[in-house]
Amino acid sequence: MTPAKKTTLAASALALSVMAGSAFAETTVDFTVAEYSSKTGPFFEEVAAAFEKENPDIDINIEVVPWDTLLQRLTTDIAGGAAPDISIIGTRWLLDFAEQGIAEPVDDYLTPEFKGTFIDTFMAPSVIDGKIMGLPVAASARAMLVNMDLFEQAGAKPPETWDELYDAAQKISALPDSYGFGLQGKEIETDAYFYYSLWTHGGDILNEDGTSGLASDAAIKSASLYKQMVDEGLTQPSPTNYSREDLFNLFKQGKVGMVFTFPMLIPQIQEEAPDLNYQVMPFPEESAKATYGVTDTLMLFADSDVKEEAWKFIEFAYKDEWRTKFDHGEGFLPVTKNVAAEDYYKTDKDIAGFAAGLPYAKFAPTIANWEEIADVTVRALQRVYLGQETPEEALTAAAAEINKIRGK
Amino acid sequence: MKSFNGFKPLAMILPGLLLAMFIIGYPVLDLAHTSLQEVSRFGQLRGFTGLDNFAEVFADPLFWGSLERTAIWTVTVVGGTLIISLPIAIILNDDFYGRGIARVIIMLPWAISLTMTAVVWRWALNGRAGLLNATLMDMGLLAEPIEWLAEAQLAFTVEILIGILVSIPFTTTIFLGGLSSLPQDSYEASMVDGATRWDQFRHITLPLMKPFINIAIVLNVIYVFNSLPIIWVMTEGGPANGTDILVTYLYKLAFRFGQLGKASAISLIMFGVLLVFTIIYVALVMRGEKDSAAGEDA
Amino acid sequence: MQPKLKKSLIYWAVLSPLVVVILFPFAVMFVTAVRPRDELFVYPPRWGFSEFRWDNFAEMWVKTNFGEALFNSLYVSVLSTALALVLSIPAAYALSRYRFPGKGAYRTFLLMTQMMSPIVLVLGLFRLMVALGMVNNLNSLVLTYAAFNMAFTIWMLQSYFSTIPRDLEEAAWIDGASHFTSLVRIFLPLAVPAMAVTAIFSFINGWNEFVLALTMIRSSDDFTLPVQIYSQVAGRYQVEWHHVMAGTVLATVPVAIVFSWLQKYLIRGMALGAVK
Repeated sequence: MTPAKKTTLAASALALSVMAGSAFAETTVDFTVAEYSSKTGPFFEEVAAAFEKENPDIDINIEVVPWDTLLQRLTTDIAGGAAPDISIIGTRWLLDFAEQGIAEPVDDYLTPEFKGTFIDTFMAPSVIDGKIMGLPVAASARAMLVNMDLFEQAGAKPPETWDELYDAAQKISALPDSYGFGLQGKEIETDAYFYYSLWTHGGDILNEDGTSGLASDAAIKSASLYKQMVDEGLTQPSPTNYSREDLFNLFKQGKVGMVFTFPMLIPQIQEEAPDLNYQVMPFPEESAKATYGVTDTLMLFADSDVKEEAWKFIEFAYKDEWRTKFDHGEGFLPVTKNVAAEDYYKTDKDIAGFAAGLPYAKFAPTIANWEEIADVTVRALQRVYLGQETPEEALTAAAAEINKIRGK
Repeated sequence: MKSFNGFKPLAMILPGLLLAMFIIGYPVLDLAHTSLQEVSRFGQLRGFTGLDNFAEVFADPLFWGSLERTAIWTVTVVGGTLIISLPIAIILNDDFYGRGIARVIIMLPWAISLTMTAVVWRWALNGRAGLLNATLMDMGLLAEPIEWLAEAQLAFTVEILIGILVSIPFTTTIFLGGLSSLPQDSYEASMVDGATRWDQFRHITLPLMKPFINIAIVLNVIYVFNSLPIIWVMTEGGPANGTDILVTYLYKLAFRFGQLGKASAISLIMFGVLLVFTIIYVALVMRGEKDSAAGEDA
Repeated sequence: MQPKLKKSLIYWAVLSPLVVVILFPFAVMFVTAVRPRDELFVYPPRWGFSEFRWDNFAEMWVKTNFGEALFNSLYVSVLSTALALVLSIPAAYALSRYRFPGKGAYRTFLLMTQMMSPIVLVLGLFRLMVALGMVNNLNSLVLTYAAFNMAFTIWMLQSYFSTIPRDLEEAAWIDGASHFTSLVRIFLPLAVPAMAVTAIFSFINGWNEFVLALTMIRSSDDFTLPVQIYSQVAGRYQVEWHHVMAGTVLATVPVAIVFSWLQKYLIRGMALGAVK
């Protein structure tokens, strides 16, 4: 072979290998992460970095989005044709995403082993029409937190029924500058605060036939009880000024005897109010035990071009080591059996208190237009708390409106 | 320069015009298009439905409530801002000790984004944990803490006051700019004639400031009408829609409930309202304004 | 008492209620930013605190990636201002000096561009940026802010320009200078106060703008300051208020500096005095 030919051959070989090399160029997986706290972003970056080390040809692009703007962001992204490949979403939105064909069913991707790692209670809300439309990524169950110092001062005992709660609230509110029962009246989950009472009074958000359960006796009784407590000064004044965060801040200040909350409040108390003497208890009952289970879902987008790679990352991210770190760090309840089996969840009395509610946890119904329906409920409750309408008027009107939205 | 100047002026306005038309025009057309369609929850257009979206909007009592509140919001905030800013600007235009500092302080609300301003005020207005109540109580002005944002009436009033507060720097700047360009001779001449300060104000300052006052009114109306952050951060339009104005209602429709067709219709209605206002205002009030240098005899 | 001193005292007395109300939130911000975390929720709330935790600022800087957000904000604000000015000055000059067909329509169009709130246009704008391939690019914000600011900058500049008498320029033309030379060497220096005010407005709009930045900029590395700070508050279970306030305090500083620097251009008589 002449020298010229050799050079040409070498050059072509080089060119070929370069081209072949570029065939292994990185695929990018876009992952929208909803921000729970300042730890969320760094955590997922860590997972991504570890994954990329094992899979150098896949690049995970993480976008951290604050929860308040998440739905807006996703709406804009989808409308603009620039949706991510995976995203964390509120499970309450999942049905809307599924109906619009945005969510990809993951049954075919799930190996039986992987599927088996999930706790059924938390997997269930993500199942729509028999198909699994996403994986549970975060979960909490609610419970009641009481301020033991206030109870001692007032000579009251932490309540197990609503009647006992009423009595305790009276005693604590008699103390100067203290309020027996914290009631949320503003912004997100104002309706949830009501559901806690609704369920433990034996009512439900939706009746068997799918119509709204807000006009039921249990519902009216619950709302009336709340209103009565507001009127008698047993709650903090003007509940409609207190969002979830405001209410919890008031509890941290030691001003509130009883409040309904989530496990994520515990780390906050430890850092911001270390002297607070609190205790975790189940919701008071009237005719049923209940708590509110909330999950968030990790969703795969149907339009994604890189589903294989995205799924690979998902499997990686669900390894026990990562789930433990995430759940502990954010204060969530575990969604996987292995993490739930850890001693931590039995020995840490706070987390155990929240986890104890799981057997009878109720979830928000997986229905379309949930945000709108929740808004109707919130507005009705606000009118009740402000005294603009009686509980019966407000709830009956709300039930009618909800039925209309549901097409019933 | 009274004759047609050829293409030079057109060339001068063209680049800017193109940018504005492109960046703003496209979304507006997109919006108009969307409002006439049935839109899925996530913005996918499903088919022409004519004026259905608009019909739905007009049948919605929440829309009318929001419209009314928007009018109240706009008039009170703009009115309040003007009444406060003009004297402030006159003061700041004058020479006195510490003027530089005063100017910087008056401008400060402009230095933070509206969203953050609202966040800080919400934090300060908290009934039990907020420093406003604590301060007022310490000063003896309040016996009991007030829950400022609990009820719609009071909350709306507070929001209006904050709206005025954040609009003052912008308006004051416009007025200051105008005042700084007023000719000194007229004042000097009038003083020779024995005019009082008030006379000077009424007969020299006000008329000469008219173009600036008009700009301030028109622009403020537009900005305040469309202003989301203050009301959103403080009450999200609640409680029970009591502080909802058109733009907060629209935000909920679009991004919480996914009703993008209806939201687009409302956007166009808002635009229409502003357009009508501006046309009427410009025609009635600004008709008398002359361009001082363009094509007029000196 | 000297007249100026008396006048100053009266003025400050009149201004003081407003000054107090303006400074109140800043005081709240500062006081919250420097206190230790476990004093955020003391009851009753008090202005006092045990120690100056200047560390909060350093922590916040690192945790919220403040430096990068600051740079992003500066980049976007300065560039969009520059772009807006470059495009507006000739346009305003044309409006104030020349007559041409479509002038009225042009002014109306400009005003109309202001009437649409970005909230309302965000979906369309996003689609546009996707089509241009400019999503997650800070330059998309530069273009958008410049476009939205233009109506105001042109309007403002034109009002000022109209107050500058043509005699000086005409004198220069008579002397043989070209239009362009007279524009640059005689007109522009007189227009400095106008440009200063306009620059302030445009800079601040870019600095504080939130909705568009939130939508266009995807990765947290590229967030501008308002988005970065707001992300500390929005929807988190645990809001670190001391950091949030520290961030807001720091975000205000550059703007306050810009104010102090530019406000001297608003001194009475500067525009006309020079003409005399």
